[in-house]
Amino acid sequence: MSKTISQPGHRVSRRAVLAGLGAAGGMAAAGTMPTPATAQTVTLRWWSPQTAPAQREAYNFQIQTFEAANPGVKVNFEATSDEGYPAQMAAAFASGQVPNVVTHLPSFAVSSYWQNGLLEPFNDVINMIGPQNFFEGANRIYEVAPGQYAGTGIGGSAANMMWLRTDLMREAGLTTPRTWDQLRAACQRLQRAPVFGAPLPYARNSMTSLIFISFVHGAGGSIFTPDLQVNVDNDAFRNALEFYKSMREFCPPGATNYSWGDSLTAFVSGATATGIYTGRVLANVAQQNPRIADFVTCQPYPTISTSVPHWTFNDFPSVMIPKGAPNLDITKRFAAHLFRADGYIRQLHAAPGHVLPVLKTVYESAAYQENALIKKYAADVQIMSQQASAGHNLGWETVRHKPNTKAGQIIASHVFAEAVQRYVGANEPMAQVVSGVARRLEELMRA
Amino acid sequence: MSGNPLDKRYAVLGAMLIAPTVLIFCAVIIYPLVSALYLSLFTIFTPTLRGNFIGLGNYAYLANSPEFWRSLWNTLLWTVCTLTLQIVFGVAAALMLHQNIVFRSLARSLILFPYFVSTVVAVLVWRWLFNDLYGVMNHLMLMAGLIKMPLDWLGSMPNAMISIILVGAWKYFPFVVIAVLARLQTIPDALYEAAKIDGAGAWSRFVDITLPQLRDVLVVVVLLRAIWDFKEFDLIYLLTGGGPIIATQTLPLMVYKDAFGLNDMGRASAVAVSMMLVMLSFMVLYLKLAGRGERESQR
Repeated sequence: MSKTISQPGHRVSRRAVLAGLGAAGGMAAAGTMPTPATAQTVTLRWWSPQTAPAQREAYNFQIQTFEAANPGVKVNFEATSDEGYPAQMAAAFASGQVPNVVTHLPSFAVSSYWQNGLLEPFNDVINMIGPQNFFEGANRIYEVAPGQYAGTGIGGSAANMMWLRTDLMREAGLTTPRTWDQLRAACQRLQRAPVFGAPLPYARNSMTSLIFISFVHGAGGSIFTPDLQVNVDNDAFRNALEFYKSMREFCPPGATNYSWGDSLTAFVSGATATGIYTGRVLANVAQQNPRIADFVTCQPYPTISTSVPHWTFNDFPSVMIPKGAPNLDITKRFAAHLFRADGYIRQLHAAPGHVLPVLKTVYESAAYQENALIKKYAADVQIMSQQASAGHNLGWETVRHKPNTKAGQIIASHVFAEAVQRYVGANEPMAQVVSGVARRLEELMRA
Repeated sequence: MSGNPLDKRYAVLGAMLIAPTVLIFCAVIIYPLVSALYLSLFTIFTPTLRGNFIGLGNYAYLANSPEFWRSLWNTLLWTVCTLTLQIVFGVAAALMLHQNIVFRSLARSLILFPYFVSTVVAVLVWRWLFNDLYGVMNHLMLMAGLIKMPLDWLGSMPNAMISIILVGAWKYFPFVVIAVLARLQTIPDALYEAAKIDGAGAWSRFVDITLPQLRDVLVVVVLLRAIWDFKEFDLIYLLTGGGPIIATQTLPLMVYKDAFGLNDMGRASAVAVSMMLVMLSFMVLYLKLAGRGERESQR
């Protein structure tokens, strides 16, 4: 075996090659290898699950204005998703590679991360924005201890608004349904091939869970008692399951696999006569199906009877700073920058009515109100704003409830979505489904 | 020999040369394996990686968990069915592409398309095809009068399991085509000519010549594809998310849900270790059976 490595014109001994490689490795390890000079830059990472093209444009504007005002700072936007953020956040925390700012996650995610010591205090950011600029009580859900905030809302949402086609309603001689019975009757009248009555989801995902929770409240119940004891073995929970099952015949066959996007598209495309979604419907109808733009309106989703008040699901889209985020000072400045009127209004206008403002100064401003869709659907936007301001979610079911820091894990476990599938799809007995939910909820709360 | 300084130097050099490989092997194989085993003995909150030692508690929980057994059954069902279809379609396509057909080169390139396209894109396309309101599948079946209402391809059983098995077979059968086609091209024509002279028909030639010649390559293909199918995650997760209920939830989906949905890295590790043990046992059994079959055929 030759002890040399030959190349045309060169003859180098193998020992020399090894020695050279060893020396190079040693130098590299010692950091003595010359490296090209780079400019000093600070890079911030911003995560959000709200990534529609119009929203991305607004984010780009906010990033550009921040970078222009802070030379040497670069902001990278990275998309997450409503279904995928728990995994991405868990991996980020576990690896120590956390983003600087995370926006638009539900408020219960903030509570859960804070409880586990995974967030930076947010008071400084709120003070930079100006606490007086927020709507009264807008930050209450983020006040984890008196005077201590874990995050803030970047908007409000009314996720379970009932959307109606006024043209179809008029043709059928129907008025706005207030109760579940009236809604069922309306769907029955409106369902004519190829139009289905409603696009409710029956899938194993967070939308099904969240819609079901809203039905439990619509039946006058709650998932937990105010002191967070499991509270599902009762008539309200059973009535919610019965209602969900009774609506199946009015939903498209593929609703067993529907998530937010599918449900939205079903209504916007005209495949269903009613819808259940936030105000994003307005922008999507305007862009994708303007033919029905003059015939859509929204109302709070019906409840079991007129004596049960509406319960609106508001996930309180949040802003938070993970613990360990590098460059904390500039990160806080960037988080506050997201609320600067010019960029914030662009963000809100990207999907008017979908994310509703939390700053009263913005809501009252002419710049915000000067939007074609907000003007056209002023009454609908007002209803959504009212509902969102009184809204709740599993992390904070009613004003009497304690914050539930396990809400995120409960949703991710699919316990409610599976209950719907067991009762509606697999026809399991009610008692078996209810006891199964109760047992799993207790396990999750104990874990 | 031990007294020869040159031999000693070569021994040291040999150890030095092999050291990077050993280190990389330890880093990418041994460390994750030991880590998974270690983590499975704890309850660990994923974001903080803090937890308590519980010994074999996670394994005891899994042994009594209907969800685990159902997921294991789903995994085996998915693997066996999709792998069988991949082999059948793969061998059939390879035989076809081995013939002198028009546009053979183009066909050989196009048939690889499903394997090369990203899973996310493939799933989006299939979800669109399966869509109840606008999907081509339902549209064609309605037009042909085969169904009166659109079929729920992904949200009810057994349609959901059948759908993921079919999409899996479509996505991965080109791998079988590549391997089998390469082997087909090396089978001597003289074998077929001799068989023809002896009066063997097409089926006899396939069974008595082609299949035995493909045996070695099929053993490897089945082994590799079985391992990859057993741990398939993205295709199933994106198509059905494991639903309805847990009817299509396989063990990798359960690992993901436990680790990141429920933030229980310990239990997720226990599922992952169980997966590895199940896969290992099947692989050992398979290789033994394949080895025995080969010995018998050589007698």
